[in-house]
Amino acid sequence: MKIENAKILVVDDELGMREGIKRLLEIEGHHVDTAETGAKGMQMGSVFEYDLYLLDLKIGDYDGTQVLQKIKSIYPESICVIVTAYASIDTAVETTQLGAYHYISKPFSPDELYHLVNRALERRWYILEARRLREEQERRLLEVAHEKSRIRTIINAIDDGILVINQDKQVVLWNPRFLKLLEIDRKVAVGDSVYQLLPEKLYEQFDRVFDQQPQLKAIKQEIVIHPPAKLVIMVNTTPVINSSGELLGVVSVFRDISELKQLDLLKSQFINMAAHELKAPLSAIKGYIELLIDATLGNTLDQYSHQLDRSRERIDALVNLINDLLNISRIEAGTVRRDIEPIDMSELLQNTLDFFRNDIEKRGLQLEQQIAADLILDADREEIQRVLTNLISNAIKYNKESGAISVNAERNNGYIRIQVSDTGIGLKPEERDHLFEEFFRAKNPLTRNITGTGLGLTILKKIVDSYAGRIEVESEFEAGSTFTVFLPASDTN
Amino acid sequence: MKHKILLVDDDVDLINLYQPVLQNAGFQVDVAFNAEEGLKKFQEFKPEAMLVDLAMEHFDSGFVLCQKVKNTQEGRNIPVIIMTAAGHETGIRFSTQTEEEKNWIKADDYLDKPISAQDLLQYVTEKLFKNK
Repeated sequence: MKIENAKILVVDDELGMREGIKRLLEIEGHHVDTAETGAKGMQMGSVFEYDLYLLDLKIGDYDGTQVLQKIKSIYPESICVIVTAYASIDTAVETTQLGAYHYISKPFSPDELYHLVNRALERRWYILEARRLREEQERRLLEVAHEKSRIRTIINAIDDGILVINQDKQVVLWNPRFLKLLEIDRKVAVGDSVYQLLPEKLYEQFDRVFDQQPQLKAIKQEIVIHPPAKLVIMVNTTPVINSSGELLGVVSVFRDISELKQLDLLKSQFINMAAHELKAPLSAIKGYIELLIDATLGNTLDQYSHQLDRSRERIDALVNLINDLLNISRIEAGTVRRDIEPIDMSELLQNTLDFFRNDIEKRGLQLEQQIAADLILDADREEIQRVLTNLISNAIKYNKESGAISVNAERNNGYIRIQVSDTGIGLKPEERDHLFEEFFRAKNPLTRNITGTGLGLTILKKIVDSYAGRIEVESEFEAGSTFTVFLPASDTN
Repeated sequence: MKHKILLVDDDVDLINLYQPVLQNAGFQVDVAFNAEEGLKKFQEFKPEAMLVDLAMEHFDSGFVLCQKVKNTQEGRNIPVIIMTAAGHETGIRFSTQTEEEKNWIKADDYLDKPISAQDLLQYVTEKLFKNK
């Protein structure tokens, strides 16, 4: 192999020699530049690396070895051939020690020149090929180093703890999350024994993976690591097997499932509470029915009628409760279909108040209202209606006879602020803290005869939260409560 | 002299059911709607027996009231009967079969809710005040 169409620089002060060489080499398909002085040769030869330099040893007043040294200093691998008169053959030989590839003595035949140039270009080819391979290898090494650090970065970024151990049960690889999950403070080094590093429950699991026959199965196990912190970790240990079926070690993935466990607990608590709340009205209704059936208890007609009224109220409450439960579950599952549209809050609030006018009058309540015009909100009408209905019906339900309700609505820093105050039974501070909890109902003599699901405010808060709004409660026991809801106003306002 | 029973339950309808039935059967019945009120009524009314709902303000309000009553000089020997549906809801069944259970829970007996007014009356006359 040799370089075809090589780039060659000829430096010679003899015009005949320059042009002769140029012509001969151009016939071969090479590209030839020429320089007639040493200075020009050095300048041209430094701009880029020619495939071949043909340098006259005596270029007028210039020493060709200087040109050679200059070019070699810039391109140590360049191929330089010295062209020399027979008289200075000893000097030419010396130049090979300075890095010249070879020399050719004048006069020479075209064949001699071709022969030498071909050999030189062959050499050049090998040099370039070696250089290419070297560069490629360097690039690959760089990539490998890169790949390693990339895998490291990926492992470190994983939110699960990862630990790899070898067949001698020594740690090989781990990520920071692993150390954090198991609260390992001390410095961990490759080769540390798992028996020193890990809690007993964990290395027992490794032992089981190592001891099982065949050693192929992964083991999944929930482990409570620090009982006071209630950290529940799911550990999944998988054996690493080579192609001959030998166990090389294990990979363990540690996932913090404490939150899931907590959710699980909350879910069962919710179900227990829901069951309790669903059963309470049924117990009452059943009791009334039994009384009606059992004539021996000698109730009067008045009593019967009261019992039937109460039964109907409890059935209504039960239906409300079931609807509320379904609503909560829909909101939480995110399956509520919402039709977001601009809503005129002023109008909706006025309509809601009109709807309750009868109830307000029936209880002799004084209604004070101050509703700004053009309060526009982008939301689902039904949900906002529910919020308003809940606020106002609470203000009626938990008010005192002949009390007052005050309703205010206005714009407030990009929000629509709706404030509903009552002069009702109010809340104790500890009751206020639990107000939005599912099934929470203030239980005192004042609330005894008021039916409610204990879910209304829970739903209200979930709706308000889902619109990035907020709700504030001020209350004084036996004096009244003020609920203030902030909902983001529409941008088009 | 009528026997005095204190009925403690947060469900106004259950009170409405039980109170007249017990009264018609010749008992003097006072009522309370939560544990706090129950303790107050216990001190004022001085009942001979108490029927107490378990889950009121809290899920264990009935136990708390029972403990408080049993820790007083006058309340130590007053029978306290816990009425609960917790067995169905949590799968946990309370029992006062052994001395240890009785000592830990402090209640004298359990009634599984729902209880009809008739059954409650039967329990009160035939068990609670059988020898009185």
